[in-house]
Amino acid sequence: MISSQPQGVTPQLSPQELSLQIKSFLSGSDPQHGQKLSLRDHARCSLLLLRCLPPARHAVLEHLRSVFHDSVSSFLNERDSQDCLPQTTSSQRRGPPPPPSTPGLDEVTKEVQKVLEEFIKLNPRAWAPLISAWSIELMGQLSSKHANRQGMPHSTSLNELLQLWMSCGATRVLMDIYTLCLSTMIDTCPDACVDALLDTSVQHSPHFDWVVAHIGNSFPSTIISRVLSCGLKDFCSHSSTSETPEKRVPKLGSVVGILGHLSSRHGNSIRQEILRMFHESLRPGNKQQRATLPYLLQLAALSPSLLGTVCQDLVDSLKPSTLAQLQQHCSTLPREELDNMLNLCIHLACQTSTGAPRLLRFLLDTAMPASVITTPGLAVHDSVREACDRIVRLLLLSLQKQVYGRTGGRSASDAPPKVVPFLDAMRGHLPELCAEMLRLERKRHLWLHQLLGLLCIYSSPPCAPEALCLLLTLAHSSEELGLAVQLHAVLSSSIQGLAQAAVARCVAQVHAGALTDKRALQLLQNLALIVQSEEGGMGREIGAALSEYLSDFGQLLLHSNPGVCEAACLLLCCCPLPSTLPPAQLHLLIRSSSFLLFHSMHLRSSAGISSSSRLLTRLCKVSHAGKKAVLHQLVEGALHPGNAGLFGGQGTNQSPQKVEGASASLLENNSYLGSTVDFSGSVWSVFHAGVIGSGLKPEEKNRQSGQVECTENTQSLLSLLCSCCAKKGDEDGHLMTLDPEAAKTLAVTITECACPDVTNSELSWPPEEHARTTVQRDLLIYTCFRRNPLLFQLLHLVAQGRPALCYCSVLLRGLLATLLSHWEASRELTSADSSWHLMASCELVSSMGEGQLLPPALANMHEMFSLLAPYEVRLLLLSVWDFVRENGPFPQRFVFQAAKGIFSRDFTREGDPAKYMGIVHSVLHRNIERLGLLSGRFQV
Amino acid sequence: MMSDIRHSLLRRDALSAAKEVLYHLDIYFSSQLQNAPVPMVEKGPIELLEEFVFQIPRDRGSHNKRLTAMQELQLLEILCNYFQDQTKEAVRQVIFSSLFSPQGNKADEQRMVLLGKLTSMAVAVCRVPVLECAASWLQRTPAVYCVRLAKALVGDYCGLVPGSIQTLKQIFNVSPRFCCQFITAVAALYDMSTEELIPPHDLLEMIVSWIFEDPRLILITFLNTPITANLPIGYLEVSPLMGLVRWCVIAPLAYRRKQKAAGGVPIVEDQNLYSKLHLSVLQGLMVLQTHLTEKSLYGRLALILFEQLVPLVEELGQLCEELNPLNAEQEMELALDRLAQALQVSMATGALLCTRDDLRTLCARLPHNNLMQLVVSGPVQPQPAHPTLTPAYYPHIHTPPLGYPTLPAHAALPAHTALPTHAALPTHAAIPPHTALPAHTALPGHAALPAHATLPAHPALPTHAALPTHPALPGHPVQTFMPGMTFPFRPMR
Repeated sequence: MISSQPQGVTPQLSPQELSLQIKSFLSGSDPQHGQKLSLRDHARCSLLLLRCLPPARHAVLEHLRSVFHDSVSSFLNERDSQDCLPQTTSSQRRGPPPPPSTPGLDEVTKEVQKVLEEFIKLNPRAWAPLISAWSIELMGQLSSKHANRQGMPHSTSLNELLQLWMSCGATRVLMDIYTLCLSTMIDTCPDACVDALLDTSVQHSPHFDWVVAHIGNSFPSTIISRVLSCGLKDFCSHSSTSETPEKRVPKLGSVVGILGHLSSRHGNSIRQEILRMFHESLRPGNKQQRATLPYLLQLAALSPSLLGTVCQDLVDSLKPSTLAQLQQHCSTLPREELDNMLNLCIHLACQTSTGAPRLLRFLLDTAMPASVITTPGLAVHDSVREACDRIVRLLLLSLQKQVYGRTGGRSASDAPPKVVPFLDAMRGHLPELCAEMLRLERKRHLWLHQLLGLLCIYSSPPCAPEALCLLLTLAHSSEELGLAVQLHAVLSSSIQGLAQAAVARCVAQVHAGALTDKRALQLLQNLALIVQSEEGGMGREIGAALSEYLSDFGQLLLHSNPGVCEAACLLLCCCPLPSTLPPAQLHLLIRSSSFLLFHSMHLRSSAGISSSSRLLTRLCKVSHAGKKAVLHQLVEGALHPGNAGLFGGQGTNQSPQKVEGASASLLENNSYLGSTVDFSGSVWSVFHAGVIGSGLKPEEKNRQSGQVECTENTQSLLSLLCSCCAKKGDEDGHLMTLDPEAAKTLAVTITECACPDVTNSELSWPPEEHARTTVQRDLLIYTCFRRNPLLFQLLHLVAQGRPALCYCSVLLRGLLATLLSHWEASRELTSADSSWHLMASCELVSSMGEGQLLPPALANMHEMFSLLAPYEVRLLLLSVWDFVRENGPFPQRFVFQAAKGIFSRDFTREGDPAKYMGIVHSVLHRNIERLGLLSGRFQV
Repeated sequence: MMSDIRHSLLRRDALSAAKEVLYHLDIYFSSQLQNAPVPMVEKGPIELLEEFVFQIPRDRGSHNKRLTAMQELQLLEILCNYFQDQTKEAVRQVIFSSLFSPQGNKADEQRMVLLGKLTSMAVAVCRVPVLECAASWLQRTPAVYCVRLAKALVGDYCGLVPGSIQTLKQIFNVSPRFCCQFITAVAALYDMSTEELIPPHDLLEMIVSWIFEDPRLILITFLNTPITANLPIGYLEVSPLMGLVRWCVIAPLAYRRKQKAAGGVPIVEDQNLYSKLHLSVLQGLMVLQTHLTEKSLYGRLALILFEQLVPLVEELGQLCEELNPLNAEQEMELALDRLAQALQVSMATGALLCTRDDLRTLCARLPHNNLMQLVVSGPVQPQPAHPTLTPAYYPHIHTPPLGYPTLPAHAALPAHTALPTHAALPTHAAIPPHTALPAHTALPGHAALPAHATLPAHPALPTHAALPTHPALPGHPVQTFMPGMTFPFRPMR
């Protein structure tokens, strides 16, 4: 009974046969024999009716629906049973699947496909809408029906789902059929097919997504543009009837869903299409075009990914001419609608994330008042600018609401704080924001300042200190620095410990080497400026914060860039010191600043010298130990061979080219001649003239500073030492008296530095003959004086702080011993022929006089040295020796005079000085013709 | 009683309810028919049908049971079988009428959909009673509904399923009356006013083949309908004549317009069909004359009303103006020729009653055409002679002009001489039956159209039985019911 006609030819059935077929189709059984039709025969029968009985087509399609349902079910059952097979047979799963339980269903679906495709090809206009709707709806039903089945991939794992459904014959057939419908209709009116897709997508939303994704991938441009236009149509029709917005959501929702799927692979097309719609909507047109703008906004509001896709390009495409069009377009809209759109825009702007910086830039650029330098063609219309101005302000307002509302909601700590994507995106662009703000363009910097404040509060832990740090680093003028202060004022109420965090960040930045020298310099200067000038809020806080990082800034004193050192130094000068400074930090600072002092002298930077002097003076006052340390450092530094040149002396090069290229071995070094055993102080002393094989010691070449610099340096060092040693409370009075205690420290330090060998260094002097046992030490002292003329100045200084010079006794004795031997050996005619020795002798005696180691009459003898012969000088010096030997240079000989506040020595109580004046007077007499004028100076 | 039935049906599912309401109403109307010759169709049964067949919920409480497509097909089959098995013509008609007569309510939509499917199914399975009922329905239903039915059938059979037109074609042999009404409805539907309203090729071919096979087809309804003085407005005409004339006249220009819209691709394949149709229509007119004369209605009953011609001529004029710049002289000539021939023949056969003066004023605005000129001016005729005609009418049939042989049955044949001028009928003269027609060569218009020779040969026309010997359709006696009334029905055969 069931005829199996060859496909493609419409079978000509007689009416009687046809009515029998109808009967058998409706009853599902063979009308002649009464037995039940198999699924396959039933399906064939229905196909026959489809060909011969046009009014039955809906019924036939309905029946075929059940066929597909059966086919899918059997497929899935099959799959489940396969999955249930023990693991051992899993290898067979790759093989051909066992024959399905309902045989021929696949064949039937293939037949159906063939017939339907034939119809579609022959008359697409009539069949395609019908069949496409049918197949789409059926796929929707199938997907929903089996969605919750066990072993089914979750609807979110689109790829698995797609794979599964496409491996099922029936659904693949349906998909093919729909694809054919769409491809035949694509040129004429694809709306008919796409509408069904959208409707079904709404109905079976999550489970149906694989279909949309697949079709969308096959016809991206069509689907995208159609989906958009269908959505627009829907939007228009709903907006006109003023329905509640909730009803509008489903269709829009599915539009968003579909586009969301496609956006991963066809983001470009979507972007282009949306932009195209946007630009088209600007042309004067019908109602639908007018609704495009709100529609697109609504769409973007529903889908963040879409917003992200479109935002950037949209901003780029908004040229002045486009903006003018847009303005014209919007001016026709009713006020209420306009306000809605504006609010939506603001909302969207807050939601923008990737394009946020560009968006911001665009808004600010457009909202900025036109300036002279704007290209005339590119200038935007005034009304556009005003609108943009309004948008910027509203955006800031909205951000402010969100940011502060967010912190307010923190009390209900369950919910995570609301996210503001715009601010999140801007966070990464903090440096640009700061830099742009500091340009101080009108209006713009005020907006940016506000935005920055919001941004800082929004992401408070990292952001606010960073912003402050950036501003502190970048500000070049006090006006710019003012922005940082303002920002701090805004933020300080909401953020705890802001200054500390900012300073910590600054320090970290400096230490990490993230800043160029110039920036670091600027930062330090700005910090100092703030600490000095803003004594109110920020300065105090910053100062307090800075005091925790003194050692860090101390390290900066050793920076390679002198400017940085100096700035750090100034900062340290003005920043408050903590009440108790740990010794380690103190010493570090002292060492660094004294280094800086000498370094500045080398560089001839008077600013550096003065700032480091200031700092040293300051440190000196911190504690007694500090004072000691400062003095020690200064003296040691001044006498250091490398620095000797600064004060007119000669440094020793530490044999820099000792071994070229040879590896430095400690063992070798230790076994090196002279370093193994210290022979000093014994008769075995060896004096190097050079190394055998390497020739003589190289000529000592030293940087000899000019006379003026030397004087300047000496002056500054001495005045620094003076102020360090000044008595407390005396600093401001111009008549400074040295603190004896400080002077003693100074003296001891000088002694230590000039003569490290303290073997025979008691204060009392031995007889002159004994000096030959200390020849080596005396020579060392001599060399030291020879190299450091500064020592004489220091001796003078020490002499002021009586009785401190006593502690330099060793030096004085050693120097005097060498001078004596020089004058003894000298065969010159006059003492002036050996100028240095003459000078040394004069200075020595005069300083001893100042230090009251000698009585004035004896001390005055130096005035005639230059007029005498060498042996006469020796005689006179011998009498000095004798005096000191007999009247030992002991501090206890000095008496404190409360009236003057100083120590002094009364020589009249120490025996008759006249017995030491004998030689003096003899020499005077001997040369009376020249020295007669001076005789009055030597009366006891 | 109706409410009792309703209550019992409310509990049923949709399909069995539909079945049962049919059953109940059958009994109801059968018993009514026994009591009264003309049963009253009350509101009750119609409401029942609306509720249970067309699934229009009467009150909000009852939920809407919709038939699935499958159930609908079952219902259609039941209906088909019912009408087939119901032997009483009257009951059939009453049931059909109460089912499908438009009531002007929201059920009409469903009604029309179901009627379309039922008719379509009846066509497929050759249910003659259903088709006859549908033919009657087409006669007494406003044209807007008829057009919808035609549209449904055309949709189903022309193009949807390839080759299905053959099925529709067959009903010519089964129910000529339905065919005639169908053609009328189709002609009303496709009025060629726009590109979409040009009849599809398959449909055209089928109709042409029907009429060409038997030109009397277009007169069946007319012949089976009691004569009424004036047709109610808004209903289908009693014959498709006017519609077909319109097709033939407008077609060349309408296709030309379509060609212009399509971008210049010439569409020629249908033109031969229109030529053939034109011939058949003219032949049909001549058959009409026989009938009119037999019933001595000649000159008293116009099948083509002058008022109907006015819009046609106007439209033709507009089309000519519209297409004039397009070098459409050939098409214009053809259209005007056809119009002239149709006017001449219809006047000659008594289908059109008007004076030549009327024609002259009517056609004054048309472009010049030789044949039209001849038809409008007419032969010189001294006096009106026919006793039954008012002097205003020109009775040339019974007083043929000099030089024409006196052939009473073929009195209209002078008009036929215009046929050779027909563009698509160059070989017309070669067809033997027609060569018998006199005065073929007497017309100057023929020589004026030399281009005909280049046109493709007309497909061999079937040898037509001599027109006079046409059987007078004995199966269709003159009926007495009035077209505007529903009852009583008379058997068709």
